[in-house]
Amino acid sequence: MVCYISNTPDAPMQTWDHKQPIYQQLADQLAASLLDGDLPEGEPIPSVRTLASRYLLNPLTVSRALQALGDEGLVETRRGLGMFVRPGARQKLKQAERTRFLTEEWPQLRTRLRRLDIAADQLSWEE
Amino acid sequence: MTEPLIRAQGLTLRYGRKVALDDVSFTIPKGRVVGLLGHNGAGKTSLMKALVGLMPGEGQLNVLGLDPRKQRVALLDRLSYIPDVAILPRWARVEQLITLMTGLHPRFSAERARALIKRTSVSLTDKVKSLSKGMVVQVHLALIAAIDAQVMILDEPTLGLDVLSRKAFYEMLIDEWCDGERSVLISTHQVEEIESLLSDVMMLNEGKLVLSISLEEMDKRFVALSHDPAQAEAMAAAHPLLRYRVQGGSAALFDGLPPEAVQALGQRVRPSLVDLFVALTRAPEMNRTQG
Repeated sequence: MVCYISNTPDAPMQTWDHKQPIYQQLADQLAASLLDGDLPEGEPIPSVRTLASRYLLNPLTVSRALQALGDEGLVETRRGLGMFVRPGARQKLKQAERTRFLTEEWPQLRTRLRRLDIAADQLSWEE
Repeated sequence: MTEPLIRAQGLTLRYGRKVALDDVSFTIPKGRVVGLLGHNGAGKTSLMKALVGLMPGEGQLNVLGLDPRKQRVALLDRLSYIPDVAILPRWARVEQLITLMTGLHPRFSAERARALIKRTSVSLTDKVKSLSKGMVVQVHLALIAAIDAQVMILDEPTLGLDVLSRKAFYEMLIDEWCDGERSVLISTHQVEEIESLLSDVMMLNEGKLVLSISLEEMDKRFVALSHDPAQAEAMAAAHPLLRYRVQGGSAALFDGLPPEAVQALGQRVRPSLVDLFVALTRAPEMNRTQG
């Protein structure tokens, strides 16, 4: 659909941070929706054109993001049908995220908790 | 390998004795969105004029397999161009412009133009002189977008548009023109906004092409390191292209990987197009004092 009146007038223009390449940021966003179950396993993921339009990205950048997810074994191309979330992708991603948290984020968090004298029983688990 | 849509080899353009474009070579294959960046007077408009056959030059220039100067009529069949001074006749109604275009251009679709206009706040019976600047730009874009062309040359198409209209234009660019077959060459000063839309970038500085690269290559070749301000001297000693501020500190931009000792002082971040543009197109006196 073509228009000069924006499809999504209320949505601000997508902004990308300066930490990582844009394709990597899109790959991370897609991985996050995979983890949340918004992209269910075995289901097709939106086409390059759809994603390009939704995120206002060059299609080549979108392809790179999907390629990155493919390299991590999270999505696969089915000939003539497009890309699909691989069975077991969510578990695989969750495992990778857990490992990353425990080896990279937790040690930093632990140091900070110690510095602030916060014990485990002082932390609330209620939302 | 298919033939590129645009090929320039040693292209030089002059206004009298003044050189507007100096020995520029590049190719644009199909399916690309190329940002043409440069300060005012860098040669962007001259290059675009040459591409559509409006300016004679030295060297070789080939667009869609044609010589723009000698085969201009055939070229305009498959190329659309929005000049930096988008002028529409003030006395005309929008509907009349559509009729005019239908008579002028074999690949112009009046139906499509009307559909495009319908999505704007402009009505078909409006006269051009009653429209705001932004509305005129929108009419112009609608008329051009209704041409089934393979190459789009857009000289600052978003000039004078408010943020919402710009966003709508970007959506159209992605939805309509990024089909893998067409290519778009677009000049703009809204570098930050269009960065994510581009596949490639060309930077002109005083008539010279100082960079012509895909964004994918740019990510790999240029290294930006964000670092603690305390490391500023060590960073400066490694001769970065540019030093600038980022959120929460400083950053240095390098062409290629700096020595490992320097890499260890900072954290690699994404070099933005704006930073790179500033680094490569600074005024000559600033280049001399640098490093």
